[in-house]
Amino acid sequence: MKALEDLVALLTRLPGVGRKSALRMAYYLLKADPRYAESLAGHIAVLQQQIKFCSICGSYTETDPCDVCGNPQRNRNLVCVVEQPQDVITIEASKEFQGLYHVLGGLLSPLDGIGPDRLRIVSLLQRIRQSRLTGAVIEEVVIATNPTVEGDTTALYLKKVLEPEGIRVTRLATGIPVGGDLEYADRLTLARSFRGRQPL
Amino acid sequence: MSFRKIRVASFRNLQDAEIPTDSEQVFLIGENGQGKTNFLEALYYLCYGASFRGQMDSLIPAQGSDRFMLQASWSNGVAGAPLDDEIAVSMKGRVKDITLNGKSLRDRKELVAHNPAVVFCHEDFSFAAGDPERRRFFFDQCAGMLSLGYIDTLRNYKHVLKQRNAALKESAYDLIDVLDPQFVRYGIMLMEERKQLLHKFKAVFAESYEHVAMLGVPVTIEYAPSWPEQVSLDSLFDYLRRRRSEEVVLGTTRSGPHRDKWLFRCNGENFTDKASTGQLRLISLVLRIIEVRLYEERERISGEGPRWPVLLLDDVLLELDLGRRRRLLELLPAKGQGAQSFFTFLPEEPWQDYVDRSTLVYKVNDGRFED
Ligand SMILES: [Zn+2]
Repeated sequence: MKALEDLVALLTRLPGVGRKSALRMAYYLLKADPRYAESLAGHIAVLQQQIKFCSICGSYTETDPCDVCGNPQRNRNLVCVVEQPQDVITIEASKEFQGLYHVLGGLLSPLDGIGPDRLRIVSLLQRIRQSRLTGAVIEEVVIATNPTVEGDTTALYLKKVLEPEGIRVTRLATGIPVGGDLEYADRLTLARSFRGRQPL
Repeated sequence: MSFRKIRVASFRNLQDAEIPTDSEQVFLIGENGQGKTNFLEALYYLCYGASFRGQMDSLIPAQGSDRFMLQASWSNGVAGAPLDDEIAVSMKGRVKDITLNGKSLRDRKELVAHNPAVVFCHEDFSFAAGDPERRRFFFDQCAGMLSLGYIDTLRNYKHVLKQRNAALKESAYDLIDVLDPQFVRYGIMLMEERKQLLHKFKAVFAESYEHVAMLGVPVTIEYAPSWPEQVSLDSLFDYLRRRRSEEVVLGTTRSGPHRDKWLFRCNGENFTDKASTGQLRLISLVLRIIEVRLYEERERISGEGPRWPVLLLDDVLLELDLGRRRRLLELLPAKGQGAQSFFTFLPEEPWQDYVDRSTLVYKVNDGRFED
């Protein structure tokens, strides 16, 4: 049954899915309401077309610029720098931050050959310089990389390139919880972290 | 703390069995290759989730099997603790699962904090005679048992070091600039902790060694850090900057705690250059004993004690003369203090001399345990 085998092979590529779970999913789909299977297939097919990266901040969005970048109510003097697009979703879910975002798309890691040119650092500098031509100057950058060796390295590097620009550089005391489903404790941690952010 | 019983399945040459071990002293008697050391390895595995033999885990399962399983119940030695703890370690294919009281542990560190063991084995000889790396390994392991924070700092230090070496190979000066503050921070933390450890060893090593070796002159421990001592942060950054171009050429970090040295000195000279094999072996044994005692001291001071690590002594008495044997055993925790020890012996050794009423004696033959 090649169709089944092929599907199982594809499913096992998903994170956290082993062959056993892939088989269970495939059998489930085989028995399921055909409308469900079609709908699922359709959503998977258009996901990458519909969800893009915001051309300003680099987070996931269906419209460009994204809802955050396009929202005049947000605090435009303050930018939070995160590692991954999903970090924006996590922080947004906490409702604890009213500024703008900038997604780096990774962390500095010489071991993996990831230098500054591989991250969205130049575009951050451009954003900062352009903001001076408008009435909404970026004054502070909050770095929200996780407190790992790579997260710390990236934060120190950003401080080095941002301070000559006259930017106040601060850092969250804790990292960002994994997954968009924030529990009360995670929200509280983030809230405290943003309030107690320290100059780097 | 002590093991009450252990269940082994498909572990090296050991026959699947449940083996009662509820005694302060357990003797394993057998010829070489019968399974004594494998049993100690199983106990160690239950304490650390890893082997002390430094081999690949995939070599452990018995022939014809792709998995092994170990289970134990132990009393954690805390007075009034209501229940024994249950620990299980299993490996199937390449997947290892460690559970404590039915709950999976994510990090082996948790296990180390819970249930330490100290193994005395032949390989320890290299702590005295071997290269500086083996000595650092011993003192790091010892510091890690005394403080989880040390394990964390060491992991971070080694990780920054790897990143720094990669940056040196790429001549990425801007990245070395931002790695150095972390390199220095973790490095200084390690140096400070190693200095404290030196103090603790210094307080007892010379006396303990003399007690067993009866050399007549004291043998002392010294710690020689790679970085200059008592310097300010700024001068350490200068120190690193001055060496940077050389390091970029070599593509590797030439200074720092990963190159620290531990030395044994006697009469102002390097003791390990002059000492006999027997004297070196005694150094490694005394180091292990001090490790055990420091752990007990830490537990006592933090109000947990008396709590001892499980002692696994693999053939260590074999090469000592009777006088040294007796004096070495005097340094181990005395009977009745709640320390559990597992000793291995060859059948022709005078193990009966050390047996008392409470000693559990097993004859180990072809992976089988007989009373
Ligand atoms: Zn945006």
